Order: sequence, then structure tokens, then C-alpha cells
Amino acid sequence: MSTATTLERIESFLPERSVRIDDVAASLGLRRAEVGVFRKIYGLDRLRFDPGTGLFDLVLPAARRALAALPEGRRVEYVIYAHTVQAVAPPDVDTAATIREGLGLHDAEAFALTHQACVSSLGAIDLAGELLRAEAPEGAYALMVTGERAYSPKVQLIPNSAVMADAAAACLVTVGGPGDEVLSFVTRTLGEYAAGLEMTKEETQGFGQVYGTVLGEVINEAVDAAGLSFDDVDLVVPHNVNMVSWRQTIKEMGADPEKFFLDNVAHYSHTYASDVFVNYTTLRDQDRLADGRYYVLVSVGLGATFGAMVIRHRKR
Amino acid sequence: MERHDVVNAVEKALSEVLEQPVTGLTEEVRLFEDLHLDSTSVLEMLMALEDAIDVSVDPENLDMDDFKSVGTLTDYVLSQQTTSGV
Repeated sequence: MSTATTLERIESFLPERSVRIDDVAASLGLRRAEVGVFRKIYGLDRLRFDPGTGLFDLVLPAARRALAALPEGRRVEYVIYAHTVQAVAPPDVDTAATIREGLGLHDAEAFALTHQACVSSLGAIDLAGELLRAEAPEGAYALMVTGERAYSPKVQLIPNSAVMADAAAACLVTVGGPGDEVLSFVTRTLGEYAAGLEMTKEETQGFGQVYGTVLGEVINEAVDAAGLSFDDVDLVVPHNVNMVSWRQTIKEMGADPEKFFLDNVAHYSHTYASDVFVNYTTLRDQDRLADGRYYVLVSVGLGATFGAMVIRHRKR
Repeated sequence: MERHDVVNAVEKALSEVLEQPVTGLTEEVRLFEDLHLDSTSVLEMLMALEDAIDVSVDPENLDMDDFKSVGTLTDYVLSQQTTSGV
């Protein structure tokens, strides 16, 4: 039996309420010219943002749908809640345990991962595979869950980068299953940018200057680690940070812009650790993922971690 | 549109972005060194210019060399005008 990590079902959830970035500009303290830059240069337009949706109302629907793909008689050993912002709930709420109970997975081990910020979800899939191989009974599963709300202007605006939005996703993971096969996962952490949202102006500028180069290198390293060349890749399934960062990265890579799925940047904006999976489900629903073809899931987390995972899609 | 009209529009756009009056600009004034703009405030100034005059910025083809001075910015604005203005 193959020992590769496999992605058995990916689901996502978006609140119905859609607003334009102009609608949140006042609460974020953005001047008209700043909104203009986000709209015209950064390519943002709409986002899902519903202050009336509770965290678990946001997280659980996608998780339930992914869990529905669990084969009869099989068991979920781990529920891993991957999120970007460290404080997503009051301190007396154990979010991972609450999600586990909400899903009725009472015997599973539940924990959260957050320190890779928006790469935490890819990191959680990698970790799920390692745990399943290392200590779980054969045929066991893990459920990776994402979802967080832009609950305050402090966590909604990344100055000069992104306007964050609400979304959730889930991925049912096993080892050696019939789903998408994980071929490689590469991360690079640049600790000099650990201050994240608290970076100085000089650090922010420095991060902006290396962003495209490092992200391009990490994508290429992941492709190389999968034994492939970038020509073998059908599509990069990216995070939705903004168009400027991706234009810069694509230019640094000398790559074909058509290989990067950026349609959702204008529709959903950046949804913390969920983007990659929201974009995956959009592509799957549009029948744009081909059996046996290679895709690179990519995200960058403030702090700063760059991550890329190469998968081989299998239709099922 | 004449060059001095563009310079006037740049003064107004900069006044909006920097939130203080900017007057008496000449084409020799350097945006980064003399006015202490950064790449972000340059972009905001372009958006303010789009709102004020008949110019459309192409986000796919921005070159910071176009924004070295008020003079090079004026050249850029005139090259991006959606109509000839004649």
C-alpha cells in the first residue's frame, strides 16, 4: 500500500453576505485613494463578510460535508483546526475541541495549529499525514479544518497588502487512499519578519522586496521535490492576497500567468488559511481539475512562512 | 491637456494623499527624495489623479522609473490619457 498522504475530500463554505471593499473602507480607516489602490492596483473588489455569523457556524458546514466522505466503518483519529490569527475565540473556549464535539467525533484527538499563519492549513495536512503514518491504526483518517472571521479591523486590514474576509474549508486526509496524492511540501520561514502585523515600515518594505523571489523559489523547490518541472504543472492554486504580489511572483518565476488561478481574488479576497481550499473547490466545481494532473497549492503566512504543496489530482 | 494642467492636478492629488497643501511644484522636483513619497503613496497619488483627470493607470505595466520626478510623472500621465485632449 502507498504511504503517501492523500486528500480524500475538500469542501469550502462562504457566508452569503457579499460586500464591496468600499463598504468596509470606513471601518478600516481607509482613505479614498487607498481604496483606489486596493481596487485598481491590488485587484480587490468583493468579499464575503458577515458579522452575524458565529465562528462555529462558519467552520462546521464545510467540515460536515468533508466528513460525509468518510467511508463506512472508518475512523477519524485527529481533528486539526488550522487558523491564522492566534486569538479567534475568547480564552475559555477550546476551539478545536468545540469543533470536534460539533462534528460528533468524540474519540478523536483535537488540536489547533496557528504559527504558520495562512500556511497553517497546508502545514496541518502535512502533519496529519505524519501522525497517521507514525501512530494511527491503518486506514485511519484526519480532518483538517479552517475558518475564521475578520472579526475586527485589527485583523481585517493588512496595511498595503490585503483586506481579509470570512470563509471556511475542510480536508479529509488519510494515507494511501484513492484521493489526491500529496507529492511534496516545502516551506521556508523568514524569521526576520516575525513581527507580522507589527513590522516596522522598513521590515514591511524588506518583506515586500523579497516576497516574489522567495515565493517563486519555494514553488519551484516543491515542484522539484515532487520530481517534476514547472511545465508539468497544470495550475497553481494560490492564496488570494492580492494581484500585485502574484504579478511580482509570476514575473520573478518567468512563468505563464495563465497557470495561476487568480479569479477569486476579486470575488472573495484573502480568507486567512482557507483560500487554497476555496479556490480548489471553485476549480473542481468548474471541472478544471484533470485526473492525473499536477497542481501546486500555495500560501504565504505573515511571520513569515512561504509554503507550497504539489498534488496529483485523482477524479473520483 | 497641457503640461502645466497636469502639474496642477498632481499638486491637488498630492495634497489629498499627503493631507497637507502642496503648491509651487516644478518639473524638477523629485517625488521620492524631495517630497518623501514611497511606493505606496505614489500609487495613492495615481488613484487620486485618476479621479481628478482623464487618465487611466494600467496596473499590469507600472514602472517606478516613471515616477522619479514631477516631469517624468507628467510624461507618464500624458502617455496614459484615454483621449488625446486636442
